[in-house]
Amino acid sequence: MDLISPIYIIAVSLGTGFFMGMPGKNLQRISFYLLMAVLLFNTAVSLQWLYALANQLTGPMQVFTAGFQPPFSINLLMGLNEAVITSMVNIAGLLGAVYMYSVLKKIGTGGQVVYLILLISLNVIVLSRDIFNIFVFLEVGSIATAGLIIFQKGIKAVSAGFKYMLASGVIAGLLLIGIIFIYRFTGSLNIDTIIQENPVFKQGALISVFLILISVILELKPFPANGWALDVYQASHPGFSAILSSVIGTANLYVLYKFSGLASETLFYYLSLIGLVTFVGSNLLGMNQDNARRLLGYSSVGQIGLLVAVLGLIPQANSNFKIIFFGLLISHYFAKAGLFWISGIVKKSGLKSWSALRKKPVLLFLFISFILALTGFPPFPSFFGKWQLVLELSAQGNIAAIIAILVGSFFEVVYLLRWAGYAIKLEPVSTLKIKWVKLIPVLLFGVGLYGAGYFVSQAIPYGNTINFIPLAIVAVLLLLDFLPAYIKNIISISATAWFAYLLFPDAGTLKIIFIVIFLVGGILTLIPGFYMKGKREGFYPSAMLMFGGLAQLIEAENLLQFFFAWEIMTIGSYFLIIRGKKSMIHAFSYMLFSVGGAYLILLAFGLVSMGNTGIGLELLSQIKYYPGIAMALLAVGFMTKTASLGLHIWLPGAHGEAESDVSPMVSAILLKAGVFGLILIMLAAGGEQNNYQWLFYTLGWIGALTALVGNLGAIFQEDAKRLLAYSSIGQLGYILFAFSMMSHMGWLTGFTYTINHFMFKAILFLAIGAIVLKLKTHNMYEMGGLIKKMPFSFIAVLIGIITLAGIPPLSGFGGKWLFYNAVILKGWYFQGAIVFFAGTIAFLYCFKLIYSIFLGQLKDNHRNVTEVSFWFLLPQYILIIGVMVFSARPDIILKPLGATLSNIFPAEQLTWNGTTALSKLGYWDATTIFMVIGIMFVILFGWLWFMSRKAQPVKQFNMVYSAERPERPELTHLSHNIYAGYNKALGFLVAPGITAFWSYATNFFESAGNFIRRIYSGNGQSYAIHVVIYTVVVFIIYLSTI
Amino acid sequence: MAIEIISLITSFVLMLIGLYGLLSDKNIIKIIVGFSLFDTGTHILIVTIGYLKGKTAPILDNAVGLTDVSQKIVDPIPQALVLTAIVIGLAVTALMLAYALKMYQAKKSLNIGDYKTLKW
Amino acid sequence: MIRNFFILILVAAFATIFASLFLNYGSSETLTPLATYYAENGAAEVGAPNLVTSIVVTYRGFDTLGEVTILFVVASVIGFFLKKTKHNNEEPAKRESSEIIVTASKVLVPIIIVLGIYVFINGHLTPGGGFQGGSIVATAFIMLLMANPAFEINHRIVHAVESISGIGFVLMGVFGLLLAGGFLDNRFLPLGTFGNIFSAGAIPVIYSLIGLKVGSEMSNILSNFQAVQNEKM
Repeated sequence: MDLISPIYIIAVSLGTGFFMGMPGKNLQRISFYLLMAVLLFNTAVSLQWLYALANQLTGPMQVFTAGFQPPFSINLLMGLNEAVITSMVNIAGLLGAVYMYSVLKKIGTGGQVVYLILLISLNVIVLSRDIFNIFVFLEVGSIATAGLIIFQKGIKAVSAGFKYMLASGVIAGLLLIGIIFIYRFTGSLNIDTIIQENPVFKQGALISVFLILISVILELKPFPANGWALDVYQASHPGFSAILSSVIGTANLYVLYKFSGLASETLFYYLSLIGLVTFVGSNLLGMNQDNARRLLGYSSVGQIGLLVAVLGLIPQANSNFKIIFFGLLISHYFAKAGLFWISGIVKKSGLKSWSALRKKPVLLFLFISFILALTGFPPFPSFFGKWQLVLELSAQGNIAAIIAILVGSFFEVVYLLRWAGYAIKLEPVSTLKIKWVKLIPVLLFGVGLYGAGYFVSQAIPYGNTINFIPLAIVAVLLLLDFLPAYIKNIISISATAWFAYLLFPDAGTLKIIFIVIFLVGGILTLIPGFYMKGKREGFYPSAMLMFGGLAQLIEAENLLQFFFAWEIMTIGSYFLIIRGKKSMIHAFSYMLFSVGGAYLILLAFGLVSMGNTGIGLELLSQIKYYPGIAMALLAVGFMTKTASLGLHIWLPGAHGEAESDVSPMVSAILLKAGVFGLILIMLAAGGEQNNYQWLFYTLGWIGALTALVGNLGAIFQEDAKRLLAYSSIGQLGYILFAFSMMSHMGWLTGFTYTINHFMFKAILFLAIGAIVLKLKTHNMYEMGGLIKKMPFSFIAVLIGIITLAGIPPLSGFGGKWLFYNAVILKGWYFQGAIVFFAGTIAFLYCFKLIYSIFLGQLKDNHRNVTEVSFWFLLPQYILIIGVMVFSARPDIILKPLGATLSNIFPAEQLTWNGTTALSKLGYWDATTIFMVIGIMFVILFGWLWFMSRKAQPVKQFNMVYSAERPERPELTHLSHNIYAGYNKALGFLVAPGITAFWSYATNFFESAGNFIRRIYSGNGQSYAIHVVIYTVVVFIIYLSTI
Repeated sequence: MAIEIISLITSFVLMLIGLYGLLSDKNIIKIIVGFSLFDTGTHILIVTIGYLKGKTAPILDNAVGLTDVSQKIVDPIPQALVLTAIVIGLAVTALMLAYALKMYQAKKSLNIGDYKTLKW
Repeated sequence: MIRNFFILILVAAFATIFASLFLNYGSSETLTPLATYYAENGAAEVGAPNLVTSIVVTYRGFDTLGEVTILFVVASVIGFFLKKTKHNNEEPAKRESSEIIVTASKVLVPIIIVLGIYVFINGHLTPGGGFQGGSIVATAFIMLLMANPAFEINHRIVHAVESISGIGFVLMGVFGLLLAGGFLDNRFLPLGTFGNIFSAGAIPVIYSLIGLKVGSEMSNILSNFQAVQNEKM
């Protein structure tokens, strides 16, 4: 294969560059197109090398300038790495020029030449193998950078440019000193020769290498010696900031990679430390930014820090080094360029003004994709990169590094997702005019990002086990988003059904329960969507992301699949929750808890993989190192989803403010994902006699207290949906408590509660959601007397609360019966008492719910309301049938379930005699109870009807307010604040303390960031001082080691 | 003291003086002068590295001849490098001065502390 | 004051880097293997008596290309950075230059230019070369400016010289690649007789082109500074 030598990239570009300096008006007119032609040529050359080298059609090529062998002359190397990096540089350069069309045109040939030469210098520093040559072209690049900064008019850019020049002047001096001394001590300037001929460096050479590396690191803007860089990111033209962040950063990083060949073990350790400090520090400070470009600057610095850390942490001989490094790098490359480019389209700098994107769905989609790529969500390359990074670090036993990376990532998630929330939710204050030249590069980078994600996923170990079909369905729905909602709803329901159909055949009893909850539940909660008018933009892709994730969770057979599914589900649910009118802040807090939980899970998976081969889920039962910690981390991670005590504060807002059909999805279905996770680890722990007694004992307590606090919280709510949300917290507390007993009866109780909660919470949330939709208020005191207007809803709610409260004959009672058996057999009396007490509290809020809404006085403005939509009632009544069946014949489910559980918990089983369940303590015949109470109900109802036949109905206002005059509208409602007395007595148990803890934690980090960032005083000289201090400090530490 | 030691110390001291000026002086022009001194120090350093006692310039004229050249000359490589370094230093200084000019035009001040609009 | 004292301490701490390098400096009596190679083979391979020139133009010619590029970038940046704004070009009153300089410039400018050209054409034989020669040429231009502050060079010519010499340099490189061993190989022209002005292959051509380019670029930079200086601020 005949390939164009990479030297022509340089020759053609420089020749053209020099030619563009020719005077003449005609040239001025065409020079931009000349520039484009050259950039296109360069891109083609590097891509052809990439293609040839990736497919092994040719070997790496050495270019010997001047026709002499190195080290006597300068040589360039075009290998696979170089082909990748130069392709990245040239593609971004080409698209960047398209993006900067108008400014490049305006500034004239001089500016275009500078742009071209910047890209050439980057190509050379990537290709060259000669240290001094790299220095020369680094300087070319930094002069060109100083020139490009002032593309933006105004003193801000000029002063930022000067700060940059000062800092880079000092850095260049250090590099030069290092280079000349390495020549002195090794006699060569060629990297390869130096490495070959000096197996051991003398002390002088060690110091020289230190100077060389530290100056390249300083070019990469280590925290905190990077104030100049932030100003440059903020002040430059966004087109150039994009280049600076994604291209120059990439090339310089590659220079560091090349030079790291000279480094000793100690220096690698330093690299990792410097990188991690930068990643954590920069992201901490990023949280305080409200200027979009400066925020992106902080994020860029952080990402580059992470990559430096990877260089230091993962040995280059490791077979996964490249995929980790390039996976993280390429995410940063696409996402950062894309975001900076979008920042030039949005123009306004304040984060909140990005809501302007709301009216441009394509741009909003790209924006969110870039944000998710930076935060390391699937299916982006950074997700796979971070995953593999964590596994490799675990294999090394370097837990501290994993923790640092996760902490830094978490800070990054905080500010990036807050920003995303603004863009999705806030009212747009301005409209955008988008020029197509600016849109095309963003669009192509978006496509590139997804492509790279798929590519990287296939390149990491076990990546090919990931099922991308759910994501493909999401993609189809995104493309079809212009269609009316009902069509997309049909597609979504069919797809969910199809997932279920695929999963059923291989599933055991336990999985079938979750398939029903996740997917059949999914279908039922999608049905109300038929009521919704219009297009419901974005709803169906999000919903299918969540259901797809849930389906994959069940399907998962290894840790990667599980974590992938977990994250997919999390993103989907986030986008669903944030759709509610007032949901921005609640969705954000949901996401923070979820991401925090996900990181704990990731850390735990790292621990699980330590010392084990493979990543199968069965490893959970054979953890070799720190099993207790790993299990506890997993438990806490899953409990962020089940909203257990301490981790629950996101739930009321998120579930309460979500849309009417989203609340049942997230409450009845999504919460069970956490339960699924908990069951997974409990199964892995082994049966009753496991090694984690202390953990499950603690979980039991947490469950009991969660039940108490959740239910207490519920009784004080005036908002119907929040009441149900608090009730969910409480119910999930029961479930956690039941499973934590780790006994046969405990687990039967747990599953019964899980199934019950799924059904009654879906019924209640659907019913209340539909009413809220109709009445346009959440406040129960604004409702009342709706029983006659909405009889079907009333019946549904009635059945829902009977089930919830555990009153015979419905299945809630069965749950209670099992619960008492389990508690007594287990001997957890004290905790059991708390749960029992919580159960009585549940009566209070159940009463409040049904009374406030359906009984009492009808409000004037509700005189003309009618029953809620059929589409909301249909799933409710299907579920009611489910409740009835489960109530009358619980043995249909519990018998096979018991059989499965007997493999895990052989002791103290429940035995069945027909429909009668027998435990050690007694018996329970659900069918008989159901029938007896059914007959009693019919008799009593008939009697009542017979007796009240002659009663005279009174009109609504045929009464007297016993001399009281209500001052506020809510006071006319009897049930407003009815439990004020309880609040006085027990209110202290409810959330504020925990909320205060979390807001204290948030404030702590924010003010720490605010304090630290004051070192970035804006004075260019101080920044130069930082650079010198940084060098001196690292040097003095280093000196002590050589 | 050997000439190379003197030269080496000179270059180090010059760099330190330059660095001190660069980091301490408020005046932008003086900062640039500091940078120039620092830069010049590195150039002296580079030339010093190529020095060999008692050898002559690496030009093969009649005095050196064409035989046993390596015994007679000082190292030509640093001399080639310093040429490049000088040009780079010149370029950087020129651009810094252009910046100083623009900054002065904008705010009529040469105090680096007056250019702090962007911070934190 | 405290700040300056702190910086003094910082600079002193920085000196530890130098101190540790100094302590390891040792002494060397012989050339490095690399330099030895150039010393022994430079004359035969490249054909230039001035070994520094052989290294600058041929062995490390690629660096030199970068060097030329850096000047070119600076000239371009300063060109658009200090571009005269239209509404600002009222010429302020200028002070007359001193008689001595005016007279001297008339005599010296041609001589300086000739010296510059001599220096870069003979770069492969004697000390000097393209950069040195080019800088000397540019000093002639400074002299002109000092003699007559209103003096403006003909930008079209300077730019044309700058461009053509740059393209020429790159073309020489490509010729080396196509006709000899590699990019910037000087041996696509005959090496000629050692020590002659027309020898050492393409070196004199390349160095002359560099000289022209450096001279025109520096003049360009200076003229841009001068133009802005005349601007009313």
